[in-house]
Amino acid sequence: MILAASTASRQSRSSSLARIFLSRPIRVIGLAIIALYLFMAIFGPVIFPPSTALVANPAKVYQGPSWADPLGTDFQGVSVLAEIVLGARGVLMVGVGAAFFIVVVGVAVGLIAGFTGGIVDAILMRITDVFIAIPQFPLLLLVATILNASSPGLIILMLGLTTWGGLARAIRSQVLSLRERDFVEAARGLGLGTGTIALRVILPNMLSYVAMNFLVSITGAIYAEVGLLFLGVTPFTPDNWGVMLHEADSVAGALYTRKSVFYVISPLMAILLLQAGIIFILGGLDEVFNPRLRKTGATQ
Amino acid sequence: MRVVRRFGVSLLMIWMVMTITFFMIRLMPGNPIMDAYLSLLQQGVPSQEAMAQIHVLYDVYPNQSVLTQYVLYVWHLLHGNFGTSIVYAGRPVLPLILASAPWTLMLVSIGITISFFIGLFLGVLIALNRNTWFDNVMSQIASIFHGIPNYVTGFIFLYFFTVMLPWFPFGNIYGNTVTPGLNFPFIASVAYHSVLPIAAYVFGAFGTWTLSTKSAAVAVLGDDFIQADKIRGLTPGQQLDHLIHNSVLPLFTGFVLSLGMMFGGAVFIEETFTIPGLGYLIAQSTSQRDYPVMQGCFLLLSSAVILANFLADMLYSRIDPRIRV
Repeated sequence: MILAASTASRQSRSSSLARIFLSRPIRVIGLAIIALYLFMAIFGPVIFPPSTALVANPAKVYQGPSWADPLGTDFQGVSVLAEIVLGARGVLMVGVGAAFFIVVVGVAVGLIAGFTGGIVDAILMRITDVFIAIPQFPLLLLVATILNASSPGLIILMLGLTTWGGLARAIRSQVLSLRERDFVEAARGLGLGTGTIALRVILPNMLSYVAMNFLVSITGAIYAEVGLLFLGVTPFTPDNWGVMLHEADSVAGALYTRKSVFYVISPLMAILLLQAGIIFILGGLDEVFNPRLRKTGATQ
Repeated sequence: MRVVRRFGVSLLMIWMVMTITFFMIRLMPGNPIMDAYLSLLQQGVPSQEAMAQIHVLYDVYPNQSVLTQYVLYVWHLLHGNFGTSIVYAGRPVLPLILASAPWTLMLVSIGITISFFIGLFLGVLIALNRNTWFDNVMSQIASIFHGIPNYVTGFIFLYFFTVMLPWFPFGNIYGNTVTPGLNFPFIASVAYHSVLPIAAYVFGAFGTWTLSTKSAAVAVLGDDFIQADKIRGLTPGQQLDHLIHNSVLPLFTGFVLSLGMMFGGAVFIEETFTIPGLGYLIAQSTSQRDYPVMQGCFLLLSSAVILANFLADMLYSRIDPRIRV
């Protein structure tokens, strides 16, 4: 009986999830864009095997779009589409990894500071203040230069360590206001421990905020990662949108010819389109966690 | 009393930044100072001479204890000695930074002001037309442009308006036919060269202002005094005046915080347009591993942002009496 009831509620929940995201065309477009990027990240090397797709071809330098190369070719005669598709995996991996790091550290620091209060809170918040006050990108440049890291793990760590401060402070202030609410008082009255209250009572109430921050952090981390490669600070990985931009700016002579338009614009559009996809679904995400925001018609 | 305390905290934060930078550069794997010292030894330079060279470059003796190095480093910083550049053969860091700062300050302050007013205008307009097609479209556009990195906007402007349509000059901040100084051709040339970089700043920042103005204005619209304004029969102009004044207040702290963001963006914009400002200096010293210059730029930037935060905090309670704690 209970099992049946819970399955039924799960079914209705997933169908209302689908309804939320399919209710507005803009969210469908957003989901489609994100699906496209996931597809590129997972199946990229299958569609364009790097060993054949990234071979220079001096006969095809800066060609316009054609059936064989829908986005034209670059300064070495390599298909721009292949470069974009193959770049997706590395870019997304670092973006998602760094966002995950930021959310875990930010939420942990915010929860601990907000809940324990006193000296722990003061110390954690002073440290957070320093990380917020330091201009983030210059700090990242300094750390990146010192570490000279090319492994995705280190880049994730670097991006995460320089960015978690804002979220930690926001989470702390949410905890401070939530813990005075009646339902938290009730949980305390039931004799639940501090850890249980923090993780099972307070945290679920902040999930929509955390989830949105996760998505926004992905784009932020991707911007920074691509930016570091654009400036030539982190050692090059063979195919990445940032490397394309760096080469367009420095070695490819792309800024001296109009023929390079697809090569220059493609990585920029790849970044903008991903940002658009994430922005388009944010509204839906808000409704998933905040039933009060749903249109009455969609909630029955 | 509060002023003194907040100022003390700001100084403490600057000291923390100084300390973190010092230990980051000196204690991390691949310590550049030890690297340079060892590579000099490998090249067959006698250790005494290698030590002296390192001292000229980094202002420390590699064989001193870290603590001594640290005390010397702080002592020198307090005397405005940021060391000497490695790439710009032996030029002291501080004058190098001060020479490039004006261009950045000019571009950033113009860019921030224009984007602020565009954002204010669009944000109020969206708040007044809430839940219309205008709100839907403009809010999405502003969200997409919110936080878009400046290399994207910079590159698009650079490519479209110097390569595709050669309307604007490319490179540097003034043409090579004018002589710097207070003369008309120079100022005109600077203005002409500044159009694209400023446009890149504005497009990178207006989305953020639009979104924060919108949320502030929506909150104000729900306030009692705006309802009272209507009942009292104030003209729409007067109501708008009240709305804008009260929506601007919360933006003020954001305005100062965005300075740090803007300087981060300056790295990209100046690198893209090759403008000899602070951002370009940072980008160049980073790619050439010119540690003293990097460190100097970073310290000055961070200190400036921390002090700006302090000033904003102080001014804010002046502007908005409700905030006085």
